Amino acid sequence: MLSRVADALFWMSRYLERADHLARAVDVTFHLDLDLHGVLAEPVELEWNSLLSLLRQPPPPLADGEHPVVAVQRWLLLDAANSGSVMSCVNRSRNNARSIRGSISPPMWRELNKLHWRLSDPSLQGRVAESPHDFCQEAQMGVLLFHGVCEATLTHDEGWHFIQLGRHLERADKVLRILDSRYSLLEGRDAADLPIRALQWGAVLRNCAAYEAYQRLYISRVEPERVVEFLLVNPDFPHSVRFCLARIMHSLTEISGRLPGRSDDEAVRTVGRLLNDLVYFDGRGLDGDRLHAFLGDALARTARIGHLLHEQYALH
Amino acid sequence: MDPVPRIIPAAEWRRVEAGLVQRINALNLFLWDVYHEQHILRDGVVPARLVLQGGYFRREFVGVNVPRRIYIHICGTDLIRAADGEYLVLEDNARTPSGVSYMLQNRQVLKRVFPALFNDYDVLPNDDYPAALLDVLQFIAPDSASQPTAVLLSPGMYNSAYFEHSFLAQRMGIELVEGRDLFVDGNRVYMRTTRGRQRVDVIYRRIDDDFLDPLTFRPDSALGVPGLVNAYRAGTVALANSIGTGIADDKGVYPFVPDMIRYYLKQEPLLNNVETFRPEIPAHRSHVLANLDSLVVKRVNESGGYGMLVGPASTREQREEFRRAVEANPRDFIAQPTIQLSTHPTFVDGGLEGRHLDLRPFVLCGERVTVTPGGLTRVALPKGSLVVNSSQGGGSKDTWVLAEDRA
Repeated sequence: MLSRVADALFWMSRYLERADHLARAVDVTFHLDLDLHGVLAEPVELEWNSLLSLLRQPPPPLADGEHPVVAVQRWLLLDAANSGSVMSCVNRSRNNARSIRGSISPPMWRELNKLHWRLSDPSLQGRVAESPHDFCQEAQMGVLLFHGVCEATLTHDEGWHFIQLGRHLERADKVLRILDSRYSLLEGRDAADLPIRALQWGAVLRNCAAYEAYQRLYISRVEPERVVEFLLVNPDFPHSVRFCLARIMHSLTEISGRLPGRSDDEAVRTVGRLLNDLVYFDGRGLDGDRLHAFLGDALARTARIGHLLHEQYALH
Repeated sequence: MDPVPRIIPAAEWRRVEAGLVQRINALNLFLWDVYHEQHILRDGVVPARLVLQGGYFRREFVGVNVPRRIYIHICGTDLIRAADGEYLVLEDNARTPSGVSYMLQNRQVLKRVFPALFNDYDVLPNDDYPAALLDVLQFIAPDSASQPTAVLLSPGMYNSAYFEHSFLAQRMGIELVEGRDLFVDGNRVYMRTTRGRQRVDVIYRRIDDDFLDPLTFRPDSALGVPGLVNAYRAGTVALANSIGTGIADDKGVYPFVPDMIRYYLKQEPLLNNVETFRPEIPAHRSHVLANLDSLVVKRVNESGGYGMLVGPASTREQREEFRRAVEANPRDFIAQPTIQLSTHPTFVDGGLEGRHLDLRPFVLCGERVTVTPGGLTRVALPKGSLVVNSSQGGGSKDTWVLAEDRA
């Protein structure tokens, strides 16, 4: 297929995944914030700041008399001046789709277009100051609908695989970042901090849409080591990094038309090595520093996979 | 879009169809001739100056042999129906005519809205157009290509006809490409794909000549493909339409098309032109200047309903402006009587009213000439208006050609 079309499919999907993660993160932080009010004495803007640093975003400019937390929510969800806001990501996704409308199925375009117009609704946007929940739900459901329609109406050929690549590469990157923003929580096991820790680790799971899945598997309180293990190496959960890497591997071998393990290209090799490290990951006695080092390395390799894809398939 | 279909009886359509076939054949013979031996110019049937100095004559293409000797593969000919029921040719669109997607979409909509009517009338389908177009594209592919790859070259998503480009590419199953997707290496055209370069044999281009290749035409064009024209000259790739067809639908050349038909085909034209005055002829000029308030005056280098004076609807200032312009450069203009375009019931403000309309049938020329039954009927929506161009507030109708009476 045309490199330009593959590129647009990849970014259409990647921006949409980015919007999905950000909407979930804002929603989760909003609710965590409400809970922490009950157990913490000091102000809880900390959580919003840690979300901004995870996203590598500076604190947003404040409008007159605006509450800093409301400003952050507006900046992350709605602001057109923020190229990484949910609205901007959906717009960029839609622009990519528009340039290749003939290469996606008509229902896919319809869903993406609908998502854009629903999120642009002034009354929905107006409610964000009070609670961002409805907006965030709308965004996440729209992304899920889009992928459902894509799954059912688009031929699972090369183009479909580029859509999967964009989605899973973005997701792996985000899950690694979410874990990395919390590695220091592995230290300091003061019994007095327990309720707060539980809330914070619960938020990590919710950020990856993993809370219920975790409960089902472990049937236990939220234990940090188990959270890390679940989100990094669970083979079956769609938001675990290993799951994402396995999907990336599958799509890459489908695109190149070669057998896995018989491929001589650098992108496949890089994915394969990272995947192996996850499969044989040993989480016993993991401390914060070791985890941070591992996550940093994994993030760098994920970024490299993106670069290699662009080189290999002449994406822009 | 207007929900009331325009209906054309079988016998009426037969004559239109035959006239269109005759006309595109003559235009293709004309183009081959003016880019080769130029018999028609030497015999004085068409003034040489008009062709050789025309803005759309591509000197660079003299002597180039185009595949299958076809220049115009896709033609949209604008017809009007005069008061006495006769169809007249208003103009030929032989460069990159658009509108065919409206023709196909209008039919889809009408079938959904009035399924019962299609049972009562026997309406000829028009759905075969994309397949027929693909046949044409494959027919003109270079002989070396056993399984030719055709693409549709579009200026991109900001072009007003982008929807049509995307629609046609999808219906034909070919790639929709932009200039940056193509490159030329060793006089062959390739597209950039995820599996490296892939050879391109036929390009259905929806980009004007001027923007096609910055090395040959406008150097500032970012839409085109550097080196494409040389590859075309070398015969490694086919273009539809060919380069240089603009001289055939030039408004200055238009008055001579009936003579071309007589000259090349030794036939009388089945479809006549609208009576046309050429101000460069002194007798015509004085007639035009004396009747500016009743004539339609058109600049020969403009299209899309721009650069024209509709006499009966004009102001004194507009007429004075055109008088000065015609006197200064009579060759730049033609003038036609204001034809009372036929009107047709049209749904306006909750009721039916008569509105003026024209008809653009789409003609394809490959192994044979195919005229898709019907075409795009354009309606001038403002009451009394005679300008049907969609860029000027025109609408459209589905056009039904009825099957022969089966009785």
